[in-house]
Amino acid sequence: MAISHRLQCRSILSALLCAAACGSPDGAANELVVEVWAHSGQEAERAVLEAQVDRFDQAHAPLRVELTLIPEGAYDEQVQSAALAGDLPDVLELDGPFVAAYAWQGHLLPLDALLPDSLLASLLPSIVEQGRYRDRLWALGSYDSGLGLFARRSALEAAGIPVPTSPPEAWKVDDLDAWMTRLAEADEDGAVLDLHLNYPGEWYTYAFAPAVRSAGGALLDVGELRAHGALDAPASVGAMAHIQRWIADGRVDPNVDDAAFVEGRVPLSWSGHWDFARYREAWGDDVVALPLPDFGEGTRTGQGSWVWAVTANASDAEASAAWIRFLLTEPEVEAMASANAAVPARISSAEASPLYGPQGALRILYEQLQGGFAVPRPRTPAYPIVTSAFQEAFDAVRSGQDVEATLTEAAEVVDQEIADNRGYPPTTGSR
Amino acid sequence: MSSVRRSGRAARILDAPLLLTLPALVGLLLFVGLPFALAVGMSFTNLRLGSPLPLEWVGLEQYTRLLGDETFRRALVNNAYFAAVIVPVQTALALAAALAVDGSFRGRGFARAAFFIPALFPMAMVAVVWELIYAPGAQGPLNAVGQALGVWMPRDFLRDPVLAMPSLMVLSVWQGMGLQMVILLAGLQAIPRDLYESARLDGAGAWSRFVHVTLPQLRNPLVFVVVITALLAFRLFDQVQILTRGGPGDATTTVMYEAVTAAFTRQQVGAASAMSVVFFCVVVLITALGRRAFRQEASTA
Repeated sequence: MAISHRLQCRSILSALLCAAACGSPDGAANELVVEVWAHSGQEAERAVLEAQVDRFDQAHAPLRVELTLIPEGAYDEQVQSAALAGDLPDVLELDGPFVAAYAWQGHLLPLDALLPDSLLASLLPSIVEQGRYRDRLWALGSYDSGLGLFARRSALEAAGIPVPTSPPEAWKVDDLDAWMTRLAEADEDGAVLDLHLNYPGEWYTYAFAPAVRSAGGALLDVGELRAHGALDAPASVGAMAHIQRWIADGRVDPNVDDAAFVEGRVPLSWSGHWDFARYREAWGDDVVALPLPDFGEGTRTGQGSWVWAVTANASDAEASAAWIRFLLTEPEVEAMASANAAVPARISSAEASPLYGPQGALRILYEQLQGGFAVPRPRTPAYPIVTSAFQEAFDAVRSGQDVEATLTEAAEVVDQEIADNRGYPPTTGSR
Repeated sequence: MSSVRRSGRAARILDAPLLLTLPALVGLLLFVGLPFALAVGMSFTNLRLGSPLPLEWVGLEQYTRLLGDETFRRALVNNAYFAAVIVPVQTALALAAALAVDGSFRGRGFARAAFFIPALFPMAMVAVVWELIYAPGAQGPLNAVGQALGVWMPRDFLRDPVLAMPSLMVLSVWQGMGLQMVILLAGLQAIPRDLYESARLDGAGAWSRFVHVTLPQLRNPLVFVVVITALLAFRLFDQVQILTRGGPGDATTTVMYEAVTAAFTRQQVGAASAMSVVFFCVVVLITALGRRAFRQEASTA
């Protein structure tokens, strides 16, 4: 059968990629192997995923999952090359914003018929939204991410700064300027804010697209499929210029050692849920999560996570979907959430979570996702070029270059690519 | 009889060069000629990785776009800047090092190894080590040294539009000069000792012996080193990918970096092919200039 042949072909690659993680390719004659590729995340996530494979194999015999872990650094490049070679596995993990691109390229099968509506109804709306493209559901994740402004409560209170307790109470950005000036007076070097400038790459888009949206701008007009008039609109330019001013004024710690908040150099850190454990270890209950500042149209936050999809290459779509359904059961969602401290995809699990439940320290991040404050990154096959252009633009902006010219140039790059792809007309895969 | 044998030998002599170059020619065609022909072909299309759209012939579109692409022009300029500094500096340092370790003294083996070992390190490793050395803020080793000596205030070398490229140059020279040194050292040792002896008898001092004996005798290895260094300088990629990603702005982007990001980040294989073709032409030009220098040497010898 084709599937076993592909297994043999890939065994060398698999051995290189994950000497320890993969099972042996030979097994009982009647078992049905589901090949799964996933990104090799943090140690704890990997351990949970491997345990999940074992539990799945036991509960779903004769199905058996064959897991291949691929380093996160070049994940998308490797998967794209495999797709080109027609060598995709049955189930693929991908980064949420890339779903539309994979769907448009015809690499994925729609999940609508493979998952019960009751399952979708039990998930966070943001999780279902990020997997949709052209009215079909293509992918689901078992957790979502939360983005906010982490702060030391004691530092805010000492400076007489009010502490927002819900997304609508987010600081106006001009107030944040005033608060930072006040905090800087008590600060050794005047740098009081950490923007994680040490995370080049996707972080720039994930973290700062919400600021653009909050100002009323956008990375892309998704309806018109045009960046000109969105990315270079006055609102977008204004938001980016505001951030540039913080950096130029010396309010932002470059944070090369990734320890600005932990070491107490800054009382404010623009960051994701994944940093919370570290922050709490350093500062205990003094750490508080706040919504990102309101640039004019209310606070906005990011969202998105790794998601699971069934590929067009899957030899048995139903068996492949069984793995995704298994990962979205309550115990498995909670197992993964306890390993990576992300927001559990199931509403019931989030409500019961010590972090995101009603009394949880990160409740506000969950409220943002539930309450519609989260904006998905543009769901379009153009996303890879949108994010690459935005990252480059952000890099130029933080280095002090002219904001409007930079964003105009980025918009041109995006629009050229969209034109080259003739507006991404529906193809067999995404029709 | 004898004439038959002679003509047979002549035929063999004619065939031998062809026969001997055949394996090299096949390799050249297979691994250089064919991919280049493919790249030329693809550069006239809109080919992109993974696109379900049909492939289209776009003529010279990719090239006219490159002409108008400020980033690509900047990449060419950066490559030229890098080569203009690296070639003389690295060659001079390699020559100095070769002269220094040419004599016989205690610890000569150690000195040679010390200059050569960086050349054995993969550039990725060198880049990571230098990233730590360049770390911004007062804690960065280089900044700490500069501050202790009172020479400069802490700065972010790799994110400074002016300093980023020189910072890449420093580590590139450090890593690259060992190889050039070995080539020049071999050249130095091939110079007949009696030339120096007679020069000394004629009353030539150390400097005139260097200018009138060493340099002319070292001409071929020097030309070779210069050409190779120039070609490697145009291939600049690893350091950029690991340390600066072409930034800040386009301050450190290069033709190779642009081609790789076009093909693998933006999936624009057509555009990347056009860049590769332009790159190939630049490399051919440099090689041609190098060959001309070699030929002049042959005629004056």
